[in-house]
Amino acid sequence: MTRRFTLEPVDWAAWMPPVDPATATPRQRAALEASPQRDSAYFLTLAHDVDSLEQRSPLFHAVMYAPRGLPRADRELATVVVSIINGCVYCSSVHARRFAELTKQPEIIRRLYDEGLGTQLEPRQRAIVDFAARLTREPQAVAAADLQPLRAVGMDDLQIHDLIHAVAMFANANRLMQTLGEPVSG
Amino acid sequence: MSDLVDTAAGLAADSPVALLRRQREAFVRYTQGSHDVLITPADPGGLSLIERAAAALRVAAIGRDNALTAHYRALLRALGADPDALDAPDVPPRLAAILRHVTLIATAPGTVTPANLDALRIAGAGPRDIVAIAQIVAFYQVRLVAGMRALAADLHA
Repeated sequence: MTRRFTLEPVDWAAWMPPVDPATATPRQRAALEASPQRDSAYFLTLAHDVDSLEQRSPLFHAVMYAPRGLPRADRELATVVVSIINGCVYCSSVHARRFAELTKQPEIIRRLYDEGLGTQLEPRQRAIVDFAARLTREPQAVAAADLQPLRAVGMDDLQIHDLIHAVAMFANANRLMQTLGEPVSG
Repeated sequence: MSDLVDTAAGLAADSPVALLRRQREAFVRYTQGSHDVLITPADPGGLSLIERAAAALRVAAIGRDNALTAHYRALLRALGADPDALDAPDVPPRLAAILRHVTLIATAPGTVTPANLDALRIAGAGPRDIVAIAQIVAFYQVRLVAGMRALAADLHA
């Protein structure tokens, strides 16, 4: 088990035997094909319940990659914040690297890791970090006033809609990763 | 057509946020689809419909979402189960084990260990059931609905 947040690749080991690709059913194979990494222990574990994987993989893909709306780097930043709060070392590693690739700003991630979510950020990133933290920690306390910092940095309705989905999606992704297996050194 | 997110967030079909959601057709379809296959699957396998609804009710209650809580309480009653009896001393041990696991995933996912999955296996849950329980708890609707409500409040202000 590795517990340190990192920008380096991390592996993930399942706590129960994943589906064996050699004996996967046609439905399991099709659902895995639509998943980000069809051969990973994580998706092969989720394939035990093919009904939910068939829905979740296209949902995840849409929330993270749908065109227009919130820029991809902003979605990645939000998912890193949620993953830090929930303590998901694997998820934060994957999406921290995506953010760094898109923005060439790995130092933002290092500061979030080392100094915490309160670290100094430019206004747009500050607004995203604060909103992601609020919706993750206190969903029922979120009110119209919490959207004003997002409006102030120019976010329109669709961008805020997308941000809410990215944050909510990682309440999901973190819990699956954290409760069906564990991160191991890559 | 309204879905559960619209209903729980209090969005009329022609409201700005309901129409905004329809700009993202895949989000809407697979969100409702996830709910349907997790909560009311045609073949529930080893995790009964009552156990699924009870797990979803626990998640909604922990998230303090009144609309989702009411939805799953009504669903449990429709299945012939008493939503107020989930914490009774005579709740079946298997359901009690499932609800303990649900509470742990919802409130402290970072503290779950392989021993917690062993407890589910001892209670008779197979691999598909264990994944389905995790998916039900992890399903993102509490935060999605809360966010849509805030967005609606902002647009209607």
